[in-house]
Amino acid sequence: MIKIEHLSKKFGDLVVLKDISTEIKTGEVVTIIGPSGTGKSTLLRCLNLLEVPSGGSIYINGEDILDKKTDVAKIRQKMNMVFQSFNLFSHLSVMENLTLGPIKLQGISEQDAQAKALELLRLVGLAEKADSYPDELSGGQQQRVAIARCLAMEPDIILFDEPTSALDPTMIREVLSVIRRLAREGMTMAIVTHEMDFARDVSNRVLYMDEGLIYEEGTPEQIFEHPQKEKTRAFINRILSYTRRISSPDYDLYAINAEIEAFCEKQILPKKTRNNLLLLVEELLQIYAPYLGPIVLDMTITYSEKNDRLELICESTGEQANPIESESLDDELGLMIIRNLTESIDYQWINGKNRLQFLIKK
Amino acid sequence: MDLHTRTEGNAIVVTLSGRLDAVTAPEFEKSIRELIDSGNSRIVVDFDQVDYISSAGLRGLLLMAKLLNAKGGQSCLANVKGNVRSVFDMCGFCSVFKIENSVAEALAAIA
Repeated sequence: MIKIEHLSKKFGDLVVLKDISTEIKTGEVVTIIGPSGTGKSTLLRCLNLLEVPSGGSIYINGEDILDKKTDVAKIRQKMNMVFQSFNLFSHLSVMENLTLGPIKLQGISEQDAQAKALELLRLVGLAEKADSYPDELSGGQQQRVAIARCLAMEPDIILFDEPTSALDPTMIREVLSVIRRLAREGMTMAIVTHEMDFARDVSNRVLYMDEGLIYEEGTPEQIFEHPQKEKTRAFINRILSYTRRISSPDYDLYAINAEIEAFCEKQILPKKTRNNLLLLVEELLQIYAPYLGPIVLDMTITYSEKNDRLELICESTGEQANPIESESLDDELGLMIIRNLTESIDYQWINGKNRLQFLIKK
Repeated sequence: MDLHTRTEGNAIVVTLSGRLDAVTAPEFEKSIRELIDSGNSRIVVDFDQVDYISSAGLRGLLLMAKLLNAKGGQSCLANVKGNVRSVFDMCGFCSVFKIENSVAEALAAIA
C-alpha cells in the first residue's frame, strides 16, 4: 500500500529524517516508537504531505505522491490523520465536524453524510454527543470524535500522531480501545505512540526510530522481548545513563560525585544506593588512577527503570588486562569494598577495550 | 573534611567531620603524623560527624595504627556508625581497631 524509499527531511541545517525506507501493507498496523525528537511525527507528516520531504520517494498503491502532478487533497483523503491536539473545529457541532469533509470534498448529500456520521459516532461510543460542541466534551471524547471524523472520509489508512499524549491518564484507555477496535476490523494504520503496552498489543510491526532512521524494526515480540540493538534495548528497558570520560589522574572527584548525585536524584534512587555508587566509583578511580593519561576511562552508569537495575560500566583503553585483578594493587581494601557493593562483576575484552561491568547491590 | 584536636588527660582526641576519602585522606595522614611525631602516643578518633569513608580513609587509619605501634602507643575509635560502620564491616576493620560507642569510653579504653 505505502512504500517509502530513502525519505529524508531537513529543516534548514537540521536533518530530522536521514534515510527512511519501509513499507506498510494493507491491513497492517505499524506502530512507530522511539525517543522524542527522533523524527517520528515528521515521518507521519511527510506521508500526509503536511511536510514536504527533502528527498526520497513515497508511493501509495504505486503512485508517487511527490510527483508535482499528484492531487494532494485526494492523497490526504486516502490517508487521513489524527493529531495529538484533536484539531476539531470548535465553532461546529460534533455532527458538523464529521459531515463537513464528506459534503464539501466528496460531494455526499447532507442526509447521507449525517447517517454515516451517526454510524461512526456509535462506533466510537459518542452518538449521544452529535449535537454537542467540542468544548463540551472531555479530551478523550474529543479525540474519539477526531477519529470518527477521520473515518468519515473513508480513508485507506489512518495516521495517528501520538493520539493520547494530550490526554489525562483516565482518558487514554477509551481512545486506545477505539483504535484497537479499528485494528481488529482490519483498518491499515500507522501510529506514533509512547504507549508501549498498547504498541505491543495492537501492532503487526513496530518501527523503532532513533537518529532520524528506522534504527530497528520487527514484530512486537522481536522489538519488545528481544531487541537486537543497544539503543532499542535502552529505550525498551527505559534505561537512563550517565557517562563520564576520565583521562587524567588529576580528575576532580567532587565534580564527578556531583554529577553522579544529580543522576541519582533524577532517577529518585535511595540515599543508600547513591552512597554505594559514589563509593564504588571512588574505589575504581583509585585503581585506575595510576594508569590514567596513557589510558582513557569511560565510566557509564545505567539505570533501568523497568528492571530496577543499576549498573556501572568501565571501559578503558590500553593493553588487555582486567584492572581489578592487577597484581600491582597495594592492598585488597579497595577490592573488598568493590566486591561488597556489587552483586556481580563481569570482565570482557571488547573492541580493543577492557570492559568491566558491575551490577550494584540495591 | 574538618579536623579538630583537643587534649583529654594524656590522650589526644581527633574529631573529624565530613568525608574521609581520596581527597581528604592525605590531610588526615599529615595531621596524624604531626601528632605522633610531636610525642602523642594515645589517640582517640571521633567519627560522630563523619558520613563517608573510602579505602583511602581506611589506609589513613592503618597508617596511624602502624606509627603508634612503632612507638608503643595506642588508638581507639569512637562513634563509628552508619555508612562508615558498613565500610568498616566490609573490610573487617571492626576486629582490627578498638572501637567504642563514645569518646569517653574510647578514652577509658586506652587510659
